[in-house]
Amino acid sequence: MGVTCVCQVPVAEGKSVQQSVDIVHKKLEQLGAVKQGSFWVDCETYHPTGNVSGQPSKLLYVMHNSETPLSCMGLFEGGPCLIADANFDVLMVKLKSHFQNAKAHKVECRGSRYRYCDFLIKVGTVTMSSSARGISVEVEYCPCVVPGECWNLTKEFMQSFLGPSVPELPSVFAAKPEGLFAPSDCVDTMTQYLELFNKLRKMQMPGSNVR
Amino acid sequence: MSGGPAVRVSIESTCEKQVQEVALDGTETYVPPLSMSQNLAKLAQRIDFSQGSDSEEDEVEGEPRDSEWNKQETEEEEGTVKFQPSLWPWDSVRNNLRSALTEMCVLHDVLSVVKEKKYMALDPVSQDPAANKTPQVFQLISKKKLLGTAAQLLLKGAEKLSKSVAENQENRRQRDFNSELLRLRSQWKLRKVGDKILGDLSYRSAGSLFPHHGTFEVIKNTDIDLDKKTPEDYCPLDVQIPSDLEGSAYIKVSIQKQSPDIGDLGTVSLFRRLPKTKAGTQQWHVKLEAAQNVLLCKEIFAQLSREAVQIKSQIPHIVVKNQIISQPFPGLQLSISLCHSTGEKKNHRASPEKPKPDDHLYVLEHNLHQMMREFHKQQLSSVVMPHPASAPFGHKRMRLAGPMAYDKAEISNLQQNEGLLEKIIKQAKHIFLRSRTARTIDSLASRIEDPQIQAHWSNINDVYESSVKVLITSQGYEQICKSIQLQLNIGVEQIRVVHRDGRVVTLSHQEQELQDFLLSQMSQHQVHAVQQLAKVMGWQVLSFSNHVGLGPVESIGNASAVTVASPNGEYAISVRNGPESGCKVLVQFPRSQTKELPKSDVIQDPKWSHLRGPSKEVHWSKMEGRNFVYKMELLMAALTPCP
Repeated sequence: MGVTCVCQVPVAEGKSVQQSVDIVHKKLEQLGAVKQGSFWVDCETYHPTGNVSGQPSKLLYVMHNSETPLSCMGLFEGGPCLIADANFDVLMVKLKSHFQNAKAHKVECRGSRYRYCDFLIKVGTVTMSSSARGISVEVEYCPCVVPGECWNLTKEFMQSFLGPSVPELPSVFAAKPEGLFAPSDCVDTMTQYLELFNKLRKMQMPGSNVR
Repeated sequence: MSGGPAVRVSIESTCEKQVQEVALDGTETYVPPLSMSQNLAKLAQRIDFSQGSDSEEDEVEGEPRDSEWNKQETEEEEGTVKFQPSLWPWDSVRNNLRSALTEMCVLHDVLSVVKEKKYMALDPVSQDPAANKTPQVFQLISKKKLLGTAAQLLLKGAEKLSKSVAENQENRRQRDFNSELLRLRSQWKLRKVGDKILGDLSYRSAGSLFPHHGTFEVIKNTDIDLDKKTPEDYCPLDVQIPSDLEGSAYIKVSIQKQSPDIGDLGTVSLFRRLPKTKAGTQQWHVKLEAAQNVLLCKEIFAQLSREAVQIKSQIPHIVVKNQIISQPFPGLQLSISLCHSTGEKKNHRASPEKPKPDDHLYVLEHNLHQMMREFHKQQLSSVVMPHPASAPFGHKRMRLAGPMAYDKAEISNLQQNEGLLEKIIKQAKHIFLRSRTARTIDSLASRIEDPQIQAHWSNINDVYESSVKVLITSQGYEQICKSIQLQLNIGVEQIRVVHRDGRVVTLSHQEQELQDFLLSQMSQHQVHAVQQLAKVMGWQVLSFSNHVGLGPVESIGNASAVTVASPNGEYAISVRNGPESGCKVLVQFPRSQTKELPKSDVIQDPKWSHLRGPSKEVHWSKMEGRNFVYKMELLMAALTPCP
């Protein structure tokens, strides 16, 4: 588990989502990256039903990542998070009276996984209730866990196939009290995905009337 | 009138010192050993006081016994009768009375003197028992009677004692069996089935899956004669182990060079190492441990042969009788055999096959045992309780994979399960590769004196990887010629060579590759050494190349070359060194020194005479010096003009 950066790639003018994904794939293959299977990340949203007086109700997101196939992550909106094993899903069913699953808000991201030396690149399509919303690109630099040490390298690498649409340093890294030199873990990755999903959810897709 | 004196005065010492008696209960009071004063008394006793004419002496002596008194008196009487015929009838009475009076007076005086305790002290004179011989017959009879009763008492007591001792012994035997059983129980699993006590020596409770039941029976050792003395190593408890676990067994792992025909593969030699028995351990314990060892060996072998049949490899593993044969490298054979010797036959077997060299790979044998136990532990821990109610069944680390967010690589690491045979083959490969590398380096080092090779082996190794640092130096120039330092990481299939500058070369397991590589490195070292030497000597390096493209082609590696110029630029030395062609040294002289150079019309100007002229080869073998760098130093020194 190295340092990851998740970003959104805008859909090219006059192209469909799938075509844009293909373009990224082609660029990666030209670079020399090798395809290594596929990946998926999903996110389910839960509304808390019980009213805790004096506290604004926070949404709970339960996420899975194919990179950590046995784990299940529960993230509160802007709050604490937990990592559990796959039984957590079953537990959430039991907690129906406290957390209600918002089925319509389920977000998924699927795509293929590329390896380029020490970099792991995942290009995925974000779909929300079976409509494609956008393209995500995750770049992971495996040998290092300290973002401050490898961010510039990662950024340079991303420029080589994403061109100008390279993001700034992900806010998860900067927001940590220890700063850039705290080791990153899988929660950082999932937080970035969650931010991306929330961003895409709010964005109104042209031609779609799904909220 | 011949009787004793009318008045008997007897003075007795305290009797305790002389009295020697046998009490009725058999205790005897002995005369204590003579002290100084007693000794004195004894000496005094030897003096025959009765013979002295002076009767006072007798009195001073202290205590005449009754018998002595009697004797003395009779003697005295006899004397009077013989020599002094009685004058009147009361003469003897008078004499006696007078002597008694005299004696009494003396006695009185003595007593008064003694009472003062100033000048004299009384000491008893013990009586020699031999002297005591008055009524011998009577004494004998009474003594006999007394002894008879005493003997009867003693016999009665002895009978009682022997009876109780026998009873005790029987009791103790019973108790010993129970205590032995208790001790056995504290170390081995026992259970009672009917009227038998059965034990379990299998490793099943430790996680073994081997189907052998491994049951032994505890029996009471009763074939011992009660009357005879029990032997030293007698144990009332004995164990009966299954017949197929008897004897001793071990796993033998060895690597052989040539593979014999499969036809004459047979049971390998079964010479047995003598079991060392620790002092103080019970027989049954030794027996059970041996049986358990046999069981473990059998389990290991069964597991290995099962894997040997299941695993598909390029060269199939062969399982013949008690031997598994595998080919880790071409022309090399790893054999793992189970040697099980039972009882008495071993002696005949051992002698003819002993001359074989002991080619055990003890490390691998030990590792096999260790891996088997690890396997047991793994089996055990996968089902071990306590277990979180919500967690899936499986290995503990697998259970943690979810909450610890293990990624794919880590999980697949957890899941991959290499068999025992695969592991041991990998280890054997590594061990073989390591020893072959060591041999290659050593043979090169002993064959080639210039430059020298030093190998520093690391002490701590992984089972699959070890490393050695190889330094190539020239004798006497270790400080300046340190250019070639190689780190050889010896793995399972290949050797990775890391140069000092970080270049990595991967060599296969072939011996020749490493040898060629080292040879080319050694040839490069010489050229590097010239370069270093030039720096020290103040010469100038004109050109340097590790791999020259000119000249004869080397069969291994490339030749390397260096050209250095003297400080004033007049001379130049060119060295070309190849792993196979050896070194060639050329010296270029200044044009001015060469006479045979034809005068050219073009270069007339005297300044051209400073140019260097033709080169001449140096007969390197005729140069003085113990090694290449030394020769080079001499050459450089010779070509450097004196200031």
